[in-house]
Amino acid sequence: MSDEKVTCKDVMSHICESLGEDLDSPRCKAIKDHLDECQDCKNYFKSVERTVDFYKKYDVELPPDAHTRLLDYLGLKDE
Amino acid sequence: MDEQEIIESAKSGDRKAMSVLVKNYEKTVYNFAFKICRDPERAENTMQETFFSMVKSLHQFDGKSKLSTWLYRIVANHCLMEARKKKHEFFSMDDEDGLYENNYAADWDSIPANIVENTELKKILDEAIEKLSPEYRIVFMLRDVEGLSTEETGKITELSVPAVKSRLHRARAYLRKEINKAFQK
Repeated sequence: MSDEKVTCKDVMSHICESLGEDLDSPRCKAIKDHLDECQDCKNYFKSVERTVDFYKKYDVELPPDAHTRLLDYLGLKDE
Repeated sequence: MDEQEIIESAKSGDRKAMSVLVKNYEKTVYNFAFKICRDPERAENTMQETFFSMVKSLHQFDGKSKLSTWLYRIVANHCLMEARKKKHEFFSMDDEDGLYENNYAADWDSIPANIVENTELKKILDEAIEKLSPEYRIVFMLRDVEGLSTEETGKITELSVPAVKSRLHRARAYLRKEINKAFQK
C-alpha cells in the first residue's frame, strides 16, 4: 500500500462501493460497527498491508552486462 | 532537456535520445518484468522485447499517459502472451471462500521486516506469487506495488474498474494467506 493515509471512512467507502451499497445503507452501517470492534479484521488489514510492503521492497538489480546486451540487441550500442 | 524533449528527439530518429530513454527506464522495466516472471533470464528477455517495441513504436506514443505506464503495458502484454504459451497450473481463484479464513488471530509482528537481507522470506514471497496466475499477478503488481491508480491499471490490463478491484482483493487475500501459512509452519 502507498504512504497515503487512509481513514476508516475511506475503507468503509471502498468496501461498500465494492458491495454496491451506499454509506448509509443498513449493511454498510453493520460493516462499520463490525470493523470498529473486530480485532480479526484489524489483523487482516494489517497483514495485507505488510504483504504489499514485502513485495514493494523486493527489488532486484539489473544483471551485470544486461545494459550492454540490451543496447546491442537494439542496435544502439555505439550511442 | 526534459523528458518530453528527449521523447520528441527520439521520435524524430535521434539514436542518442533513444538510448537515453532506454537507460532511464531499463531498471524500472527489468524490475517490473522480474516481478511478473520471477526469473532473471525471462525478465531480461522481456526487457529486451519491451524496448524493441518501444524503439519500433515510439512514434505512436501520444504523451497522454506517462512513458512508464506505456512501457508497463508492453511488459504486461508480453508476459501474458508468454504465460499463455505454457501449460502451467495456477491456483484457481474461483473458490473465493478458500481465500478467506474464519478468523485472523495470527500475529505478524514476528515476521522479520527486512526483506532485502532475508533469503527465507524472499523464497516464501517467490513461491506464493508463482502460484498466482499472471492475470492476477499483473493487477497486484501494477496497483499495489508500482502504485498505479485503479483506472490506469484497468487501461493497461484492459479490465473494467470493478474487475481490477475484484482481482486485487483476491490477489491480496491469496498472497497474505500463503505467507501466513508459510510462517505458521
